[in-house]
Amino acid sequence: MRIGLVTEGGYPYVGGDAGPWCDRLVRGLGQHEFDLYALSRSRRQEDEGWVPLPPHVTRVRTAPLWTAEDDGAAPGRRARRRFTECYGELAQVVCATQAASAGQEARAGEARAGQAANAGQAASAGEATSAGEAASAGHPAHIGRTAPGVPARERSADLADRFASALYGLAELARDTGGLTGALRSETAVRALEHACRAPGAQRAARTARVPDLLAVAAHLERALRPLSLDWYEDDGLGAVDLCHATAGGTAALPGLLARHFTGTPLLVTEYGVRLRAHYLASGTDGTPPAVRALLTAFHSRLGAEVYRRAALITSGNAHTRRWQERCGADRAKLRTVHPGMDAAPFAEVGEQPQDGDPDTLVWVGRVEPAKDLVSLLHAFAEVRRQRPAARLRIVVTGTGAEGETYLGHCRALAAQLFPDEADGPHAVGDNPVSFEELGGPEAPTCADAYAAGAVVVLSSVVEGFPAGLVEAMFCGRATVSTDAGAVVEAVGGTGVVVPPRNPRALAGACVALLRDPERRARLGAAARARALELFTVEQNIAAFHGLYLETVARCPVRRAALDHDGEPLPFAVPAEAHVPGHWAAGPQERAVPGGGIAAVPGDGTAAVPDTGAAAATPAREAAR
Amino acid sequence: MSGMSGPGEPYRPGAPAGAGPWDTRSEAWLTGETGEVSEAGETGEEPAVEDGAGREEARSHGTGGGAGDGVRAGAHAGRSGTYAGRTDVGAIGEGVNRTDAEGPADDAGRAAETAAGQFAEATAGQPTETAAESGTPGRAPAARPRTARPPATPRRAGADPVKTLIHRHRELCERAVDPLEIAAGLEAHGLTDRTAARFRHRDVFSLAEEMYARVAAGPEEPPAPEAAPAPRVRADWAVRSLLPGALATATVAALHLTHGRTRLTAAAVGVLAVAVGLRAALRHGPLGIPGRAPAGSRPAGTGTCTTWLLAYALLGDGLLRAALAGGPHHLPDGTADGPWPLVTAPVLALALACAPAAWCAHLLTAHARRRLAASRNLEDFTAGARPLLLGTVALFLGASAGLLALCAAALDQPFAHTEYTEAYAETLTLGALLLLARLLVVHGFAHAPAVALTAAAAAEATALAVVFAARLPGCAALAVPVRTVTDACGTGAVPTLACGAAALALLLHASRSLTRASAHTRHTEDDAS
Repeated sequence: MRIGLVTEGGYPYVGGDAGPWCDRLVRGLGQHEFDLYALSRSRRQEDEGWVPLPPHVTRVRTAPLWTAEDDGAAPGRRARRRFTECYGELAQVVCATQAASAGQEARAGEARAGQAANAGQAASAGEATSAGEAASAGHPAHIGRTAPGVPARERSADLADRFASALYGLAELARDTGGLTGALRSETAVRALEHACRAPGAQRAARTARVPDLLAVAAHLERALRPLSLDWYEDDGLGAVDLCHATAGGTAALPGLLARHFTGTPLLVTEYGVRLRAHYLASGTDGTPPAVRALLTAFHSRLGAEVYRRAALITSGNAHTRRWQERCGADRAKLRTVHPGMDAAPFAEVGEQPQDGDPDTLVWVGRVEPAKDLVSLLHAFAEVRRQRPAARLRIVVTGTGAEGETYLGHCRALAAQLFPDEADGPHAVGDNPVSFEELGGPEAPTCADAYAAGAVVVLSSVVEGFPAGLVEAMFCGRATVSTDAGAVVEAVGGTGVVVPPRNPRALAGACVALLRDPERRARLGAAARARALELFTVEQNIAAFHGLYLETVARCPVRRAALDHDGEPLPFAVPAEAHVPGHWAAGPQERAVPGGGIAAVPGDGTAAVPDTGAAAATPAREAAR
Repeated sequence: MSGMSGPGEPYRPGAPAGAGPWDTRSEAWLTGETGEVSEAGETGEEPAVEDGAGREEARSHGTGGGAGDGVRAGAHAGRSGTYAGRTDVGAIGEGVNRTDAEGPADDAGRAAETAAGQFAEATAGQPTETAAESGTPGRAPAARPRTARPPATPRRAGADPVKTLIHRHRELCERAVDPLEIAAGLEAHGLTDRTAARFRHRDVFSLAEEMYARVAAGPEEPPAPEAAPAPRVRADWAVRSLLPGALATATVAALHLTHGRTRLTAAAVGVLAVAVGLRAALRHGPLGIPGRAPAGSRPAGTGTCTTWLLAYALLGDGLLRAALAGGPHHLPDGTADGPWPLVTAPVLALALACAPAAWCAHLLTAHARRRLAASRNLEDFTAGARPLLLGTVALFLGASAGLLALCAAALDQPFAHTEYTEAYAETLTLGALLLLARLLVVHGFAHAPAVALTAAAAAEATALAVVFAARLPGCAALAVPVRTVTDACGTGAVPTLACGAAALALLLHASRSLTRASAHTRHTEDDAS
């Protein structure tokens, strides 16, 4: 099978986002052929070069996102008119009042129709439901801002369709004219935005947009739509692959979306963090004017929804991401959670040895940041010391940021203040029960050693994504006490103690309980290791993606009509059984491919059809393998 | 309080984003007298009378952390703060999530500044309550031996916990463009679905929706955006724009002082030096192309055409005159009064005019940016930008004319009366053409300047070529148009016509394209970051 892997600012560039994961994925699936389509984020990234690629990566195509060439040639009148129409439509949808959340609310409202007594008459407007709850709770009932449910849903679907048609219209125009950069930067675009902002039915925030805001939005849209001008969507590009796998949402998924539109390639989207959420967090505090934020948010949310709508399958790294994806319009049936895989080998030795470390030592390993709430940990440890005077705490620092340095200094000062140095006797030199160590120092050369040294591994974060450190501790077979943040509960399951965040007393209680009970510790540690080995290994990650690839190709095979050398359709070139894995009822769209556009899968000995039928026969072969 | 976020920083309630906010809690320990705190804790009563900021802070942390961020709106500092604190501790603060029960420490710290007095009074009135009310762990000094927990006070059921939450995250709610943004913000502050359950919501999303709906009609009209910072006048480009003029002056001086072979060498070195100076002047500053010029925006040949136009200004008139008279019989000797004269004044004036050109471009950018911020819509901007552009060009022409007069006087090349206007027309049209071409290129329109410059250079070259071609037998008629023009208006009419027409075309183009708002966007992101 031939897989087009689309990345943005990541693999195969050195040090890119999610680079190790992509590398393991590509290397782990050596039976498939990979085409890499990489978008680079900066010149520096391009200059740093690529990581070594395995031999089954057959081609790499890159394109810069940080710059765009504008040939300066004015497009023809007809192209200009098409651009004005499409861009104007896009701008109108982006400026239109947000009704997308109402559509999703509809689903949410239906989902809990059983719970909420008034859900039936509220006709699915979730806000109404929550208003009902609020009212019953003694809150002043508020009036929902969304229009009544059903029209809102229809309107939302209509807007989504208009967005999609405008986007594909622009993409087709870019394909016909060879690039849209100049047009997207032109006054026409700004004028269309202004028109849309002043039109009736525009968002309130959009109506306040001034000229600099319009320019900012136009510039951002130009950047976001740069993938439209790429020449990847031909039959020898993404059209030749069997499956397009986008390693992130948003801009990275845009080439996949267009490939699906132009050539019918199924799209698989993997998101370890939802783009829209990152956009909210980034744009909220950087002083962007509200009008700009409103319009850009609308654009990204529409784009995300369109990606979710067209993708064959969507994977998320954890349940939290999945909830966001559902919220942003992803169909629940398409969502799969694939936990990130981590290399268990470095922790195998520690994990398999029977005894655990010093029975009085707590270990914290991680990157020092304010979000890790070490202060809370120190306060909890003070409580622990009161009940277990022999307890010690080792804080192993794997890294600090600029803020982290200050924070670490502060934590050290706090530790020195809370815990005076202690010595065994009047003639011994004392030391502090809390030690701060750098990873790689003599005390803790590797992460595994650090985890091995303690009886209990503690995590005190307030905000957490997927807790990699916790999973490492689980690999080491250590009992863990962690705060309920991010995907911690999901990772730890029942194999560790979870306490509320920012609750040092609860944290201390859990630690003391574990320190006092070596048997429970051992039980939990063994369970944690078993769970981690079952769920969070690289192998399960790769196996999951392998399965998803097969599922995608089986469900949405690319049907390439076989052509003979003259470009004429070749009757009976594809055997009937090649279509078996597909849908029976839904009529597949037959797609004609111009001559010479077929890429035969190399090493394809089993396909019954010589030459051009091979690609079409691939799904059956893969499924049988 | 070094780590405390200043008023100018974005408001991130509870966001553990900086070292600062988390410092205050324990900074009170570090700075305050721990012994006293633990004493107070041991005796189980709140020290009612204290002095010193550290003490106040410690108390404000210990008793009313939740109040702290409720108090952000300064006016309600004391009362609402107390209210918020109690509501939290009572209704939600089982200590399950400190996000709810206590505020971000920086707000607590701010509260200590703003409301410490009132609040301290408020709490001092009920000294026995505070320890119990601060039931959230970590609030009270942990060093205090806590063998027996104080009995929990009966919880105060808050009338409306969501209201308190909205109050705490007011800025988040007000700036949010949709409920999801509030949800993202709440999650970044550590709020989970479990916490949302205590607000009687299924998840954070539904809580965020209620908050979004309840924050009234949203932000009022945004304040008029302040003008984008105008580009600074920086010494480097101001000095560099003087470079071509200075080098050209030196070259002309050298030409005057030398003779024969040395003069030739001086001329060659001078031309090279001026070229290098020009390049340096055009690299940065208002005449520089922002970012690294994409390959497409600098068509090959613009430089060649410019060089040709300048060379023609130096030598072209003399050559044309000589050619019409049947020559030339000598090579130029570098003097202004030879048979093939070298007219240095116009080119020297143009080299000196680099500085006014840079200033004019700077003025145009600065004013355009100011106008951009002030415009209500695009038409408004265009209407205002047109006079601005014309004014800029006129200013430059005026400056060039002045410089030309100066140069002519200094070089002692008094033009004859008819030649006087001719030289002015020739120099000014060439100057205008070059300025407009550069302005257009700088603002991202590279195509039209290239065409215009090529056309002007070609016209001049053609004029020369047809005069020589007319000497071929039977081709005399070719030179008739050139002869007619030169007879009527002198040899300077050829470059004047060529450059004038091109400059006029560019001016028309610029008055349409440079007055668009989109021409004044900065595409700085293209710069390799």
